[in-house]
Amino acid sequence: MNRYEKWAAGAVALMLVAGAAIFFYAPTDYLQGPVQRIFYLHVSSAIAAYGCFAVVLLGGLIYLRNENAVADRFARAGALVGVIFTTITLVMGMLWAKPIWGTFWTWDARLTSTLVLWIIYVGYLLVRRLAEPGRQAARLAAVVGIFGFIDVPIVHFSVTWWRTQHPGPVIVNDALPAAMLGTFLFTMACTLVLAGVMVWIRYRIETLQDEKLHLAEPVQVVTAREPEPVP
Amino acid sequence: MNPVRVAFAVFRKDVRSEWRTREIVPALAQFIVLALLIGNFGFVIDRTNAANIAPGILWLALVFAGLVAFGRTFAAEREQASLDAMLMTPASPVAIFAGKALAATALLIVCEAVLLPALAIFFGTPLSADVVFAVLLATIGMAALGVMFAAIVARVRARELMLPLLTLPLWIPFVIAGGTAVQSAMGLPGNYQEAIGLLIDFDILFVVLTSLAARFVLDE
Repeated sequence: MNRYEKWAAGAVALMLVAGAAIFFYAPTDYLQGPVQRIFYLHVSSAIAAYGCFAVVLLGGLIYLRNENAVADRFARAGALVGVIFTTITLVMGMLWAKPIWGTFWTWDARLTSTLVLWIIYVGYLLVRRLAEPGRQAARLAAVVGIFGFIDVPIVHFSVTWWRTQHPGPVIVNDALPAAMLGTFLFTMACTLVLAGVMVWIRYRIETLQDEKLHLAEPVQVVTAREPEPVP
Repeated sequence: MNPVRVAFAVFRKDVRSEWRTREIVPALAQFIVLALLIGNFGFVIDRTNAANIAPGILWLALVFAGLVAFGRTFAAEREQASLDAMLMTPASPVAIFAGKALAATALLIVCEAVLLPALAIFFGTPLSADVVFAVLLATIGMAALGVMFAAIVARVRARELMLPLLTLPLWIPFVIAGGTAVQSAMGLPGNYQEAIGLLIDFDILFVVLTSLAARFVLDE
């Protein structure tokens, strides 16, 4: 086992412990029943996704400032892992909403802005795929990542002023019993560790890919033009 | 070089090139009429519900016409490689960007000059100053963002595909606030003042941000 595999195994083991806490330690919700157990992973992965997109934002800002390739690779890794965690958040939220709200989806502020978040960072990954790898792709993607991070709170608040259905924060409002709060904090810590390990491994993959590209073409020539048509 | 004069020169160049070829404006006008036609068949429209549906159709038609328009913004520049030539001059990229954005705004305003009367004729909605004002306010920010993403996708493959994917999510704030403003101006519920205030905020925010980003997007 190399150290990446060890970290990955450790993170998965932590998640299994968190799963055990969710199903066997945390009490069953009086009103919602067992389905409320979705809460622990749903909120944790949302927070992990925000963390990943913060990495994209920071990486993009640092890259635009001094063209630091490390920052750009972290941004790429953060975007991919963030999209995965946003997907988990959305899917688990829908599964939870169906029995409790009676519908998979409602155009609520939180749901709408999370969907927009997902769309923006999938777009970010597409830019990375479709732009010629190199300085320009990194710059363009950095701009997309920064604008994406700004857009989401705006969508969130502009929708909030008109309609809302999703519950507000329960953690800071001290609305959870101790066993639930403990389970939640533990799950959140494990999820953040998992996200961190995923970003780190992805960073390693991006580094290897960059090295491979530089070996293949030592001088990066990035051009905006298409080939001139022959008259 | 005076950046204001550079921006104005780029703007004049784009307008003149459109005036001489007359390619985009007729196509966009046709596109808008078609969008209204599809709206008519997509919804069951009669006198009672036209006012409820019209704002939605307005924004759908405007947003998609905008995407078509912005997709063309850098097409000529790319085909002639004239953007690279402009960037080689001592003119600042921000001024060039501002000129392109001004030209795109003018193009979108021409679209609206077709769209709003057509909506009034086909859907019987009031064509009030409030509606025009809200749509014009949204145009400013949408044009700034649209030109920035058009510049980005000009440098990637599959650009026709990428432009909507990148631009639409960032236009959503304008559609939310502009949608509310137009709805309330057309007699539906909604706070017009608050929505206009938001539109102005978004305009300022995105014009400033896109100007800051212009250097990174246009530069080689």
